[in-house]
Amino acid sequence: MGKILFKDFKVFNGTEFIDAREVLVDGERVSAIGNSLDSTDAEIIEGYGKILSPGFVDLHAHFRDPGGEWNEDISSGARAGAAGGFTTLVAMPNTKPAISEPSLVEYVLSHGRAAGASRILPSGCVSKNREGKEMAELLKMAEAGAVFFTDDGAPIATSSLFRLALIYTGKDHPRIMEHPEEMSLFKGGQVHEGKVSALSGLKGIPAASEEIDVARGIALARETCGRVHFTHLSSAGALGLIKQAKKEGLDVTCDTTFHHLTLNENAVINSGYNSRYKVNPPLRSKEDQAALWEGMLDGTIDAIVSDHAPWHMDEKDEPFQDAPFGIASLECAAAVIIDFKNKNYPEVPVEMILRKMTSSPASLLTEKWQALGKIEEGSPADITIIDEERTRIVDCSEWNSKARCCPWEGIALTGWPVMTFVEGRKIWQDNEDL
Amino acid sequence: MNAMPSEIGQIVWRHRNVIDVDCFTREELYFLLDQARHMENVMDRPIKKVPVLRGKMAVNLFFENSTRTRVSFELAEKMLSADVVNWSVSGSSHAKGETMRDTAWTLEAMGADIVVMRHGAVGSAQYLASKLKRAIVLNAGDGTHAHPTQALLDLYTAWKHLGNLEGKKIALVGDVLHSRVARSDIIAFKTIGCDVVLSGPPTMMPREIDSLGCRYEKDPRKAVQDADMVYLLRIQKERQQDGLFPSVDEYHRWWGADADLMKYARPGALAMHPGPINRGVEISSEVADGHQSVILEQVRSGVAIRMALLYLCGGGAR
Amino acid sequence: MTVLREKAKLMSSDDLNRVIKRIAHEMVEQNKGTENMILVGIHRRGVYLARRLQKIIEEVEGTKVPCGELDITLYRDDLTMLFEQPMVHSTRMPQDISGKNIYLVDDVLYTGRTVRAALEALVDLGRPSSVKLAVIIDRGHRELPIHADMCGKNVPTSKNEVIEVKVTELDGKDEVVICERDAQ
Repeated sequence: MGKILFKDFKVFNGTEFIDAREVLVDGERVSAIGNSLDSTDAEIIEGYGKILSPGFVDLHAHFRDPGGEWNEDISSGARAGAAGGFTTLVAMPNTKPAISEPSLVEYVLSHGRAAGASRILPSGCVSKNREGKEMAELLKMAEAGAVFFTDDGAPIATSSLFRLALIYTGKDHPRIMEHPEEMSLFKGGQVHEGKVSALSGLKGIPAASEEIDVARGIALARETCGRVHFTHLSSAGALGLIKQAKKEGLDVTCDTTFHHLTLNENAVINSGYNSRYKVNPPLRSKEDQAALWEGMLDGTIDAIVSDHAPWHMDEKDEPFQDAPFGIASLECAAAVIIDFKNKNYPEVPVEMILRKMTSSPASLLTEKWQALGKIEEGSPADITIIDEERTRIVDCSEWNSKARCCPWEGIALTGWPVMTFVEGRKIWQDNEDL
Repeated sequence: MNAMPSEIGQIVWRHRNVIDVDCFTREELYFLLDQARHMENVMDRPIKKVPVLRGKMAVNLFFENSTRTRVSFELAEKMLSADVVNWSVSGSSHAKGETMRDTAWTLEAMGADIVVMRHGAVGSAQYLASKLKRAIVLNAGDGTHAHPTQALLDLYTAWKHLGNLEGKKIALVGDVLHSRVARSDIIAFKTIGCDVVLSGPPTMMPREIDSLGCRYEKDPRKAVQDADMVYLLRIQKERQQDGLFPSVDEYHRWWGADADLMKYARPGALAMHPGPINRGVEISSEVADGHQSVILEQVRSGVAIRMALLYLCGGGAR
Repeated sequence: MTVLREKAKLMSSDDLNRVIKRIAHEMVEQNKGTENMILVGIHRRGVYLARRLQKIIEEVEGTKVPCGELDITLYRDDLTMLFEQPMVHSTRMPQDISGKNIYLVDDVLYTGRTVRAALEALVDLGRPSSVKLAVIIDRGHRELPIHADMCGKNVPTSKNEVIEVKVTELDGKDEVVICERDAQ
């Protein structure tokens, strides 16, 4: 593999925009950052002022593989990620069978490598077969390459299992990722408990459901000195608890999703209850959405994730109440958040968003991957080029993902990734951007 | 009687599908009531049939049992000379292994012009309408969401008795949380200018009642105070098993409508109910069979209002 | 978009009232008195014309002939070709029409399709012993075998023309004009 010289870019190093306009990649790594770099033997890519960012890191994506390959498989998911500017994707383990033993962790890794697109990192279940009873072989899965432990799709079934897992993993191993939900408040739930449930009569999922489980996780983190990462936060209340816990000095972190930051329950109502807006945790109130943005700004939220939950059209294209939960977003997520920020929070610098898509989530991965999410001399050349001026209409029919609908279908968004590199190799390019 | 604000005359009817009553303006509602009056006139004739929908195929697609609503639609369709097909599917479309998309395309392949659908899932009527190219959809109830024809027949019944409904007060008592009837009624009566007050067990109220745009009184006597209409919602006894109220007896004692409760309303206030009634639960026999009850008139109004909708939405060129 | 341009006045207010009077006399003459007679106006202008006939007959004969109104919207044969459904008006018969002599009243007789619909509507309401038709203007171009038993005036027209019979009750004045459709 040769050299590539990225010329005339606004370089975002994972933390901030730096003065240098050029980045030289030699083989799999970044070899120099600066101006007027030596371009001997290098392929030159002119940026014309576009952003050069570390590749995006998504801590939470569902690929339905093994067991649900008609909805998505690791290969289509990895290509979808590439087209969305993501270079690293953490695959959730709630597949069929669930990823709860080392051989399945290896299955995900090897299929990810074979896809030749975004890097797929596996996560493993906390409990055997994700049944919520006995602890899975966490150490062996960690050895095989799991970067998180989670029973995502559901919370860890009992507090005692949660506690044991925290004590067992301690500080040295992958973090525990908790899907914060109190299941007894879910039963039959469809939408946010609030305006949308009042108007539709659909059973509501109260924000308290999330808050209760976050409170449990915090109490256990405190008691065990363990580390908990709360995923897909959706409510102001839960966020408040995490803010407080962080202040207290507990090792808790959290993420929210592109869709919770950019949509709220009104989208469900205004669509006439279209299933493409059906997701769990549900799209919550306008106030919750505003609180999430506050959490982004004050640092409570560490990462933005896709919670990419693809469904084949035959499964998702149903009346709201009959359709499965989940929004597929990988291929437009970056544009969705950039466009929304520019329209609604123009004063927020784009690097705040990019940080939570690159260095900040990467720091929550295991030791081996700590160099991801940064542009530094010697760091892996995972690079995403972003054209802030580019406007494109979201068209799911062109996706690499097998999902064929999303909330933004048909909407024109501005600010798109146009090129993606993993370890110095171009894995995707917007064909119209030549 | 039959007061229609004078400024409402001929309007251009722009609706093809009826998913919920929120698509109608106040003027359109009055126009619809006026058209239903002429339809009711057809019901009184020796030959209860006009040829207006001759050659149109109406399919009554019922995924949930509802003999009353289905029969009411069927009568309305037949009085307008449509060809009627009743298609009942027990359980959901899923149970049958066919997606609703396929059901929709099948209906169109068969040449359906009008589809009346009752389905257990919120959003199903809207969904079906989005999949049909030619046929129109009238929502006969989608889960807990909406039951527009019920709300319109309630409005029609009230209008026939009270005339101009501007400023009139209606108290809706019962299980608002699970009631598509309540949801559509709230919108319909508010659009036409009524004051809507809700009452019932707090566990059977949506949490954010404000978003429905009406007041809630736990004490039904306060809700019914000076009301022109007292609307009792059907209580499904299964809700007791869900733990939403402790016993039928306690429910009846607190929120059931008896002659005592009716005393708080205006003299001559209407007692209304969507049927079928649970005597001794949400309504006592003295009220259900009393002189204030318009429950059977509501049934008759249902046919008239459905004829009006079928005519306005379902006739014409496509 | 088409606009109507008034071409000529066919009848003044006086002319129209004279015609209505003559038709009233013809009706009573044909019916040999007012017995078993029911006037039925077709919506919308026919309704007002029928009421005027009723009044004139009452002045002349001293009997108030029952007068009904008929809306033919639900019987039209062109509904499947229209994109917007026309508004339904009331149909009211003063009494059972079975065994009666019905005098249908309308403003203009043109293709005959309105009258066909009216006949169908009437038959659904009962079994009259006879039905006769009175119109103010017969403008020709019949598409069905229908003729007027009493007619104010025969006016040869082209298909591009429109006859407007105006009545005070709806239009603020009595007159009959012929207009031409201008394509715009």
